[in-house]
Amino acid sequence: MKLVILGVGGMGAITLSKIIAQMCIEKDIPVRSSEIHGMAKKGGLVEIQMKIGSGKSGVVLKKTADFAIVLDKEYEDYAKSYLKNGEKGLITLTDEEKVWAAQELGDVRFANAFLLGRFIKNQSIFDKDDALSVLKGFKFFDKNKISFERGLS
Amino acid sequence: MKLFLSGNEAIAFGLIAAGVRFGVGYPGTPSSEVLPTAMEISKKYNINGFFEWSVNEKVAFEEATASSIAGIGSFVVMKQVGLNVAMDPFMNTALVGSPGGLVVVVADDPGPHSSQTEQDSRFLAFFAKIPVLEPATPKEAYEFSKFAFSLSKEFEIPVMLRTTTRVSHSREDIDVSINNNLRAKAEFKRDVDRFAATPHFRFLLHKQLNRKVREISNLEWYSDFEEYFEGDLLIITSGISFAYLYDIVEENRLQNKLKLLRVRMPYPLNVEKLKERVKGYDRVFVIEEGYPVIEMQLGNREQFRGRLTGDVPQEGELTIDEIKKVLGRIGVLSLENEEPLNPPFKRPSLCPGCGHRSAFYAIKKAFKNEAIYTGDIGCYTLGLNLNAVDTVHCMGASVSFGFGFDRVYSIFGDKDKPVVATIGDSTFFHSGIPPLIDAVHNYSKLILVILDNSTVAMTGNQTTPANEFSQSGRRTKPIVIEDVVKAIGVDFLRVRDAYDMDGMIEDLSEAQKFTLNNSSPAVLIFRHPCVYSGEGLKNNVRFRKVFVESNLCTGCKVCVKQFECPSLIYDSESKKVFIDFTTCIRCGQCVVSCPFEAIKVEK
Repeated sequence: MKLVILGVGGMGAITLSKIIAQMCIEKDIPVRSSEIHGMAKKGGLVEIQMKIGSGKSGVVLKKTADFAIVLDKEYEDYAKSYLKNGEKGLITLTDEEKVWAAQELGDVRFANAFLLGRFIKNQSIFDKDDALSVLKGFKFFDKNKISFERGLS
Repeated sequence: MKLFLSGNEAIAFGLIAAGVRFGVGYPGTPSSEVLPTAMEISKKYNINGFFEWSVNEKVAFEEATASSIAGIGSFVVMKQVGLNVAMDPFMNTALVGSPGGLVVVVADDPGPHSSQTEQDSRFLAFFAKIPVLEPATPKEAYEFSKFAFSLSKEFEIPVMLRTTTRVSHSREDIDVSINNNLRAKAEFKRDVDRFAATPHFRFLLHKQLNRKVREISNLEWYSDFEEYFEGDLLIITSGISFAYLYDIVEENRLQNKLKLLRVRMPYPLNVEKLKERVKGYDRVFVIEEGYPVIEMQLGNREQFRGRLTGDVPQEGELTIDEIKKVLGRIGVLSLENEEPLNPPFKRPSLCPGCGHRSAFYAIKKAFKNEAIYTGDIGCYTLGLNLNAVDTVHCMGASVSFGFGFDRVYSIFGDKDKPVVATIGDSTFFHSGIPPLIDAVHNYSKLILVILDNSTVAMTGNQTTPANEFSQSGRRTKPIVIEDVVKAIGVDFLRVRDAYDMDGMIEDLSEAQKFTLNNSSPAVLIFRHPCVYSGEGLKNNVRFRKVFVESNLCTGCKVCVKQFECPSLIYDSESKKVFIDFTTCIRCGQCVVSCPFEAIKVEK
């Protein structure tokens, strides 16, 4: 499986990639990623490409990805250019979800667990429990769980 | 245990597992994560060692060389331009050798993404005649680190481990182990013919070095070539290019078209052995990230095609897309003509609330377009956006450029030209002090502004010599910048918080008067903690509300252009500026930038 995660600096996109990687490690599936971030610390594009179960490099080419997870809809068109089947596999964080995470849970970064839920729902390698067992190792498990389950539903 | 590690983290794990107990360096993208990882491992697993930042790469290199001469397994880490700074000890350590083992970790930045050059450090390994290993993946970075150290120890020769941005910043699941039972013992064996050699003995050391290199070029594993696939077209490759080629072959099912010959050690390359492997091929392509290091050693431009023959681009990063284009031109891969979609461009900018922005704004208010602005390497290079940086060259050059400009304008100019140099605190320690000595000694009229945020911000907030604790948590003696400046003999020194706009403008104008009347440099320290650090943000001024009063905003965009904070957004529909609350830290520094007083704060 190939996926890309597109976020902006400070949103926690890299953490999301690490959570997915940890699920792979626990299932003994090889996993690789490649991170690209620009010079701007805050607000700049953070791009993570991931290969699960194949390849030597972590690089994902255009039109080959199974999933594109987008944390800022400004990058949605760019994200689509990675997908292999049109818009299938596109997971975008909407403004409503962003505001919900920031207001209800207290930090916009909890939206990553929501996206994880959406991702889990749309593929078959990992199930709900795989994700929860990794999330348990992170801070604020209670809030992450709420956000995750909302993504799953 | 299996961990998801970046190439840089993997190097730290590999080196410590191999027995390295002393590591130093200077931060620089893409190398910065190696040393902090070593600090963390050492703390977490109770490893008795020393892992700390040095003041610059030259000093780091010498410290690591001494440690190695005393028998301790050592490494030094830097980015490619850092190796230029360390060139002097680098060349000599190659000759003298490294009894306890010394791995020189250098991260190159083809592209370049965040550097002033895209030089290839493998060439410098070649130049110094030391072996260089080139991992293609984080997993290999872990393994090759161990191979590098054991080779270094066995032959008492420094060994370079060369990575590139894509290897350093990729991640992979890696099975790592920790060795915390090692008993290291410092023992310097006096040998003046070697460690204090006169020129005559240097010749003998050179002879020994040549012998080591010859032996290493025949060593099993190091001089071996990995072979992949069964095609008719042969490609010699190394490093990240190998990983890309491997993936291209697998994904495009080119197994019957291409054959890859992978080099682990680009220098010393066993050319005879390699030529044996390519017999019968009329044309062999060499695809390697960086300069044509392997290609050049092979000679024969008819048979070996690559960067030197123009078959591979001669500059820029050799991305997977570029390699696909090369294969397209050779005719083994059909390419789509479609231009790839790029992400929307965003100009890099200082963070909202950064004290450097306020300092540059003050500098620009004081000197307008009258001065020459010499800048330096760090976040504050982005003073470019405020038109307060005219030159950026290399670490410390703001001061020496400032000296040079002032001197030629004094002698050859029509009239005096103010010269304002800006340098960060860490860069000042790194290489700003010697040129300031020159400026003072020669009565330069330079105005030097030290932008002090007490951290190496650009590369991820590493510690500086001014901090009370080192990054690994050791108590350290803080070096006080103003004491250094005064000790050099600077007679005009002012220290100011970079959020004090009026104060800074006053200091700058006083400084100009002083330099003109006294023909002597003035130094201003504009200090404000980095708001990108947790501590800096927590303690920063924070208004209850910062907002644009819409009816007062004329849409002139003066704030956006002159203050250039990314939180000030011009809305082309309403023709007004508004503040982006998702990025604004409510410092209120932008208030001064509105000519109509439309930006307001509420306490």
